[in-house]
Amino acid sequence: MSADTADAAAPDRDYEALGLVAGLEIHQQLDTETKLFCACPTEAREPEAATERFVRYLHPTRSELGEIDEAALEESRVRRRFEYLAYDATCLVEADEEPPHRVDDEAMETALQVAALLGMEPVDQVHVMRKIVVDGSNTSGFQRTMQIARDGAIETDAGEVRVADLMLEEESARRIEDDEDGVTYGLDRLGVPLVEIGTEPDISTPEGARAAAERIGMLLRSTGTVKRGLGTIRQDVNVSVERGARVEVKGVQSLEDIDDIVRTEADRQVALADIAGELRARDAAVGEPTDATDVFEDTDSDLLRGALGDDGVVRAVRLAGFDGLVGREIAPDRRLGTELSDHAKRHGAGGIFHTDELPAYGTTDEEVAALREAVDADPADAVALVAAGESTAEVAIEAVADRARAAVEGVPEETRGANEDGTTRYLRPLPGAARMYPETDVPPVDPDPGDVETPELLTERVDRYVDEHGLDSDLAEQVAYGERMPLYERAVERGVEPTTAAGVLESTLTELRRDGVAVDRLTDEHLLDTFDSLADGDLPRAVERVVERNAEQVDTEGMGAFSALMGEAMGELRGKADGEVVSDALRAAIRERS
Amino acid sequence: MTAETDGAPSTPAPGDRVRVERDGTTFEGVLLPSTTAETFVVKQDDGYNVGVDREAATVEVLEAGVYAVDVDGEAAGSAVEVDDDLPTVALISTGGTIASTVDYRTGAVTARFDAEDVLRAVPDLAGRANYRGRVVANILSENMEPSIWQDLARAVAEEVREGADGVVVMHGTDTMQYSAAAFSFMLDTPVPVVFTGSQRSADRPSSDNVMNAVCAVEAATADCAEVLVCMHATTSDDRCALHRGSRARKSHTSRRDAFETVGRAPLGYVDYDDETVTFRREHRERGTVDLACAPDLEPEVELLKFTPGMDIARLEAMADREGLVIEGTGLGHVHTDLVPVVEDLVDGGTTVVMTSQCVEGRVCDRVYDTGRDLLAAGVIEGEDMLPETATVKLMWTLENAEDPAAAMRRPVAGEITDRSVPWL
Repeated sequence: MSADTADAAAPDRDYEALGLVAGLEIHQQLDTETKLFCACPTEAREPEAATERFVRYLHPTRSELGEIDEAALEESRVRRRFEYLAYDATCLVEADEEPPHRVDDEAMETALQVAALLGMEPVDQVHVMRKIVVDGSNTSGFQRTMQIARDGAIETDAGEVRVADLMLEEESARRIEDDEDGVTYGLDRLGVPLVEIGTEPDISTPEGARAAAERIGMLLRSTGTVKRGLGTIRQDVNVSVERGARVEVKGVQSLEDIDDIVRTEADRQVALADIAGELRARDAAVGEPTDATDVFEDTDSDLLRGALGDDGVVRAVRLAGFDGLVGREIAPDRRLGTELSDHAKRHGAGGIFHTDELPAYGTTDEEVAALREAVDADPADAVALVAAGESTAEVAIEAVADRARAAVEGVPEETRGANEDGTTRYLRPLPGAARMYPETDVPPVDPDPGDVETPELLTERVDRYVDEHGLDSDLAEQVAYGERMPLYERAVERGVEPTTAAGVLESTLTELRRDGVAVDRLTDEHLLDTFDSLADGDLPRAVERVVERNAEQVDTEGMGAFSALMGEAMGELRGKADGEVVSDALRAAIRERS
Repeated sequence: MTAETDGAPSTPAPGDRVRVERDGTTFEGVLLPSTTAETFVVKQDDGYNVGVDREAATVEVLEAGVYAVDVDGEAAGSAVEVDDDLPTVALISTGGTIASTVDYRTGAVTARFDAEDVLRAVPDLAGRANYRGRVVANILSENMEPSIWQDLARAVAEEVREGADGVVVMHGTDTMQYSAAAFSFMLDTPVPVVFTGSQRSADRPSSDNVMNAVCAVEAATADCAEVLVCMHATTSDDRCALHRGSRARKSHTSRRDAFETVGRAPLGYVDYDDETVTFRREHRERGTVDLACAPDLEPEVELLKFTPGMDIARLEAMADREGLVIEGTGLGHVHTDLVPVVEDLVDGGTTVVMTSQCVEGRVCDRVYDTGRDLLAAGVIEGEDMLPETATVKLMWTLENAEDPAAAMRRPVAGEITDRSVPWL
């Protein structure tokens, strides 16, 4: 690791001083009975369970001026074949073979609940829109979406974050397979209601981003109507630092990753800005790509040979003044060269080689020298090359050159994808204004916020579990935020001791899972039955306690005390036991005593 | 509510760029025409439309008329080039939505009708033929009238006379089967006349219009001389079925493969991937008949569906009609109490044809007493004709046949088959 990279990874950076500005966009699937525009369940299916397959193509549609949306055109230039899997859980609406039904009431109600929790004002009339999407993930070629509310705010430890808007929209189809023939999608996920929450760029620290996401996540889960598990919540983060540019990082799967992602992205922008400063100081420039196939005619590099194939070519570009900077780390294990490589990959190449890392991969000093000579590179210059089939190499090296030119300017605005290790990768340019037009098949909805009950917040729930259920605060939080919270509530309602219920749901099940027991197969009903049998074991002891407490009355009145004690015994068992069973046990206990 | 700008009152109008304030929330965008008096509909800059309560809002016009909402659909013309090596196909529009476009700013969907518009909307049609476009009607297909069939048939005949190698009629799907049936009787054509449309509106990327239009043009240039309906064969974008115009029926309200040939497999298919047209059965070949057009129709013809409990007066009311097609039950029956009424109708000069609401199968009124009584009353058995086709045929035979009753029993355009072979 060089001195530069040690600096880039500095943990105690003052991000506010760097002018960090971040905003969030959170997409959360709702756990409603039915989908947003049809009566199908919101359940996932395995591809093997498909009952029907069909094939479609999408065509870009023209605007009133006869123009086609550029993004749509780009996407459809190659005629892409989309295959769809239909299931018992899907109908003709998902197949785009039946008009959408009306907006699902439960989804609308949940969205209004979320709006209330975020302090937002619902619009007077909700209009469903079609947002053109031609990647096949929507059978119709558009996603149905509607703006529900505007102008809210949440409080976090790091200050207030304004919430710009709340949308209710349909989830896209699940991508199952992607090969040269086309893409296969499962329709089970298509149409599952999704709320999208967009914040204003009010966040100024990585911790602040996480705090805001956590707060929104908590509010969402407080509704009790959100899906849980992998892929059910997706977080996008918009990040920029003062010397950087607006970058949209898409698809942050885990809440815990948000601060890392923001930190790494801010660091990356700072590192790129530093590199740009240095490049400008060196009068750096990017040349025109040229052919360097001859240089590697007899190379021993297996990697290059593999990339070249049978009749591949090498295209190289002189990066004047870039020496030593292409290999500089800008994020953990990612260099400026990695960014160049991302652009080459997006245009079909396997990646790039550059002089900051050569000779390596079986290339020789002589080859590197010949490469420099082929593009007229000085020792202060770097050279990047792409080895691939001719047409691929042509466009890929152009993309590399363009990205290198941008590096001299500074940080490019772009859309990036979140990697699992907290770094990000280039995906595509920032999207243009989305093209939308009304979904005329669905009438507008006049929302009635007066009908919406504001749910108990999970934070309030934690307090209640501590105060009323006697759980310790860690366990209370674990239960309240856990997936089995509704089950815990039901168990306690049935009279199970709160600590017992919490212990079983949070500790016992986890331990069993660690021991390799397939606890995922346990349904709520299985667990409730278990709780009931636990309660049965409690019964004789509870009856015993009641008789003990009222020993005097039992001694004097005998069976005459039964009626008075029956109520008390039921109370002791909090109604969790069957009346007849309690009555039998109580009679037996009294008889024994008298 | 009216906004004040520079002291002068101005009423915000659709197409104005406005700022709408409501309880501290600001909506900025283009004002759209709203469907109710209570709300303003604003298209915001992010593309989302919202409705804002008129009473509770204040509106400021930022810029008047930034956008002409009532766009008349005029677009820049594109020269259609002629290639002498290609066949000529006449595209005739009746107002179906097969080639409509959408205005993303207002959200309005504009229907496109002439040949150039169709080509602009469906660029995949280019290079398959030279096109001649013609708008005969501009209606929703539920508003179709027999008089328009006459105009359409004359237009098609004219196109063929002027050298069209095939005709594609772009038609709404609701009544396409009636129009196709009417053409089957009115026209003797030496070239294919192919009806097509779309079940999904053309403004959506998933519309079936592209594949249907492409396949219809392929069929129109094929070696065939029949009136056909060309629509999706399955829910997939893989091939279109070619249905004989006199035996086609729309059997689903929304599916792409809504059309079927009743009682038979389709006459042929057009494969979308390799663009080949194949026929499964004997069909009339290109050029084997001379062009003839017999467009006269008797409009006083009704189709009446018999149901249990039907008011006898409904049948009696048919006395002043020239023709009546009954959609009877099973093999071709009505309540026995109605038989004398039918007899009165026939005696009064109304031609009465019996078909079946089973749709599939052949009418046979010789099996049961009710049927025999109906025959005795003068009812004409509709054989295996579709009720809708029989209705259209009756309109035609009443004007064009010397003996309409005999003509109704005789196949004219494949509407009656001799053999019931649904597996073929």
